[in-house]
Amino acid sequence: MPIEKMIPLMLEGVRDTLYMTTVSTLFAYLLGMPLAILLVLTAPKGLRPQAVVYRVLDAVVNIFRSIPFLILMILVIPLTRLIAGKAYGSTATIVPLVIAAAPYVARMIESSLLEVDPGVIEAAQSMGASVPEIIFKVIIPEAKTSLIVGATISSGTILGYSAMSGAIGGGGLGQIAISYGYNRYQTDVLFVTVILLIVLMQVIQIIGMYISRKTDKRIRE
Amino acid sequence: MPLIELRHLTKTFKGKTQTVEALRDINLCIDQGDIYGIIGMSGAGKSTLVRCINYLERPTSGNVIIDGKDLSTLTPKALRQLRQQVSMIFQHFNLLQQRDVRGNIAFAMEIAGAKRADIDKRIDELLELVGLTERQHNYPSQLSGGQQQRVAIARALATNPKIILCDEATSALDPTTTTSILNLLREINQKLGITIVIITHEMSVVESICTHVAIIDNGSLAEHGTVESVFSQPKSKAAKKLIFRKTGADGGIIGDRMIRIVFEGNASSEPVIASLVLECHVSVNIMYADTRDVGGKAFGQMILQLPEDKLQQEKIIYYLQSKGLRVEEVDGDAH
Repeated sequence: MPIEKMIPLMLEGVRDTLYMTTVSTLFAYLLGMPLAILLVLTAPKGLRPQAVVYRVLDAVVNIFRSIPFLILMILVIPLTRLIAGKAYGSTATIVPLVIAAAPYVARMIESSLLEVDPGVIEAAQSMGASVPEIIFKVIIPEAKTSLIVGATISSGTILGYSAMSGAIGGGGLGQIAISYGYNRYQTDVLFVTVILLIVLMQVIQIIGMYISRKTDKRIRE
Repeated sequence: MPLIELRHLTKTFKGKTQTVEALRDINLCIDQGDIYGIIGMSGAGKSTLVRCINYLERPTSGNVIIDGKDLSTLTPKALRQLRQQVSMIFQHFNLLQQRDVRGNIAFAMEIAGAKRADIDKRIDELLELVGLTERQHNYPSQLSGGQQQRVAIARALATNPKIILCDEATSALDPTTTTSILNLLREINQKLGITIVIITHEMSVVESICTHVAIIDNGSLAEHGTVESVFSQPKSKAAKKLIFRKTGADGGIIGDRMIRIVFEGNASSEPVIASLVLECHVSVNIMYADTRDVGGKAFGQMILQLPEDKLQQEKIIYYLQSKGLRVEEVDGDAH
């Protein structure tokens, strides 16, 4: 493909991929965060153990996590149509992306929250802190670094999913790679999209790690 | 009226296969201004006991009465408010790692609903008290263990509590730091009149600052009273075991006749053993000797291994008793 065609195509691809990744990550966190907090609270050793609630949430998360993304995408097409009005393109792809990523994100957050030293939580309880105070003033701030690392990994995963969605009508770099590189044998386009995906992943990783290091107060100076 | 009263306290942990009785029928009164040591071997139930005092652990039965309030009758909200009056410090300090020294102290006051301006003023006072003004913007990871425990103490004092519970607060510290933390606690007790309950497995902690001591053994209260009375005349097996733990005279005691003599007050300054040897023409083997300064009063004790000869043994005991010392037989209980 000539370079003057390649550049606008790729710019569009990068834009759509970033759009899908960031919006999906955002929504996945909006759903995953409360889910993770509920999991941590209702766990057998949590602050408010609720065996039934915990088991149901735990099972739901596991079920969604075990469906391969492409299959999930097909399964939720009716829902995607309902929300986005159509089942193809970048905006529509956000629906299955969020559904696939939210349980994944919930597990990432859950594991970060569980890393917080139980002694610190006990200390807060001994001071008379309420459960919401313990969550928002102790557990989440103490887990901050780990949460940022988790967010970095999660958005990387979502970036990968978004590229995969290109196979069945999702937008962005994935779609470009499939329709030009695979369907039309334009290997040069395929290579460029792969390189751009690698670069995007690196950028996400570098930014995430930088922020987590900058905000962590546990490192001795 | 005692400030803290424990009535028939029991705590049972039910596991899938077995039930553990962590506490059995504990009755204890702690008065305002006491520094009350609760000592026991590890696994004796003392950590569970201290957590029952602020209801971090709910007792299986029995009552905890603090300042006239029975904790079992309190609503969750009232219990949280009461906890602002009963602070706690921990073996591993349990500071917020992502907040600096000021932030950690502020945390306790935020929970108590204090105003920002009051918080800042109070933090300045507390930093002065615990001697960490220069470290106020450091994070816990930048502080030594002793400094971190000082922050924890400042945090515990932030809400002007009546009681401070210490759960093995010096066990993770070296001896010098332990002494300085204990001195700080004594200062807080004397200056501010705060009642302190200290959970420890170290006899030296009790000796150095406690006014009263309770000995917990296998979930039960073995013995309690003032430190002087318990240390000079331990009655229970558990108390003797703890007090003599440092003898290092384990081997060789059994079989031979041993006596323990207790010095109280003036007697400890007289060269009794030297006189004994000179006047009775006998030899004794000193297995263990220790003089302690407890609450300003000196007392000491010594374990002597007596000669084989029965007559000589009687002579020695008679001589010591005539000097006004208490003489006890030492048997297998002593270690």
